[in-house]
Amino acid sequence: MFVEILLTLLKGAGYTLLITLSCGSTALVVGLGIAIARELGGAWISSVLSALVYVLRGVPMLVLLFVVFFGLPGIGFDVPPMLAMMLSLGLISGAYLSEVFRGALAAINPNEVLAAKSMGFTRFEILRLIKIPQMMRFSVPGIVNELTTVLKYSPFAYTVGIPEITKQAMALVATTLRGLEIYAAIGLIYFAIYRLLLAAVRIIEKRYSITGFAQE
Amino acid sequence: MALLEVNNLVKSYGDRTVLDGISFALEEGEAKVIMGPSGCGKSTLLRCLNLLIEPTSGAILFDGEDVTRPGVDVRALRSRIGFVFQNFALYRHLSVLENVTLALRRLKKIPKREAEERALHELDRMEMADKRDAYPAALSGGQSQRAAIARALAMDPKVLFFDEPTSALDPIMVREVVTLINRLYLDNVTILCVTHDLCLARYISDRVVFLDHGRIYAEDLIENLLDRDADPVIDEFFGGEG
Repeated sequence: MFVEILLTLLKGAGYTLLITLSCGSTALVVGLGIAIARELGGAWISSVLSALVYVLRGVPMLVLLFVVFFGLPGIGFDVPPMLAMMLSLGLISGAYLSEVFRGALAAINPNEVLAAKSMGFTRFEILRLIKIPQMMRFSVPGIVNELTTVLKYSPFAYTVGIPEITKQAMALVATTLRGLEIYAAIGLIYFAIYRLLLAAVRIIEKRYSITGFAQE
Repeated sequence: MALLEVNNLVKSYGDRTVLDGISFALEEGEAKVIMGPSGCGKSTLLRCLNLLIEPTSGAILFDGEDVTRPGVDVRALRSRIGFVFQNFALYRHLSVLENVTLALRRLKKIPKREAEERALHELDRMEMADKRDAYPAALSGGQSQRAAIARALAMDPKVLFFDEPTSALDPIMVREVVTLINRLYLDNVTILCVTHDLCLARYISDRVVFLDHGRIYAEDLIENLLDRDADPVIDEFFGGEG
């Protein structure tokens, strides 16, 4: 019985991890895309993107998920559950990440940008060679925060039929009536996934760390 | 023909004229210092010359080419002018060696090994070769400025611009940087330097262009300027030194 419960929960944990990684990746791509477009685009592109970010940050994730999953089929777009998660949770987290990146870009020393400009680098080269490498390093705490948020919002996936860990737990509780043990167990599994993500980020952070970089 | 010739350069922001009819020339191998009270337009002038700031009117001839005409290759112009800033402006995420090789590899498309050899030569000239793998955060102000000078020199520029290169340094570091810039001066590197530092001006320049309220107030040898005791503008700036 115990092994059976554990296997069911671990299967759900696989979906949870998959949702977190796919939505987290979407968020990174969207966040980076918005940050880069704001840097390179003109004033009106920046205004449009700022408005988009403003709206996305204000919309509840579940509402956007329902709009995508239950609303879009009404106008002829059938969206698979995982893609619906990416287009809702991924997009909202991307909007938050774009703000993290905006703050990190603002922390870059303008003199470095001026120096690169004075050497003949173009705006695109400055972004690629100077700004983005520094921005990513400044953004690590914010990225970890956002990934954690994505993990914690992943249970909403059960509303569109993805059998992630909370969904599995609910089904198990319904049949076994052992809510305390099962929900406590998934709490621990969420924590383990969180530690796993944190460890992965720390490895990447260590690989690219520079002594005294953020302390100047 | 002068390497750099500036004719009637004007820079205005709305009603405010920052540079008002600046004309001077810089010969190849010459070292000239631009001095003047704070806010007189020194840094703006330097930045206009490599088009970091767009001049309102006037002409800038660099190596015989009018760089203020439309369609000029700004990138090519800037790669021929080495620019050293007051606050060093080293790229924090790159080591000293990478700071020096970045433009060589990405702009001049020089292969890595060759770029590193060239960078090490310039770092050695600035007595910074032993710090090649250090990151900017680990350098003192003087070391940072020397690395920044090596970065500018590695591009083999026709002229070196310095914008207050010693004003962010303490007196000991000033001495080490002045000594090295003086060595460049003695090597006949063409230099245009904005500074408040009389000691630096004495060590590295042939002539001084003295700006006041956006205009050239005087252009002379520094000794001659220091002798102008009766001139209130110059006397106030130098504060009785000399």
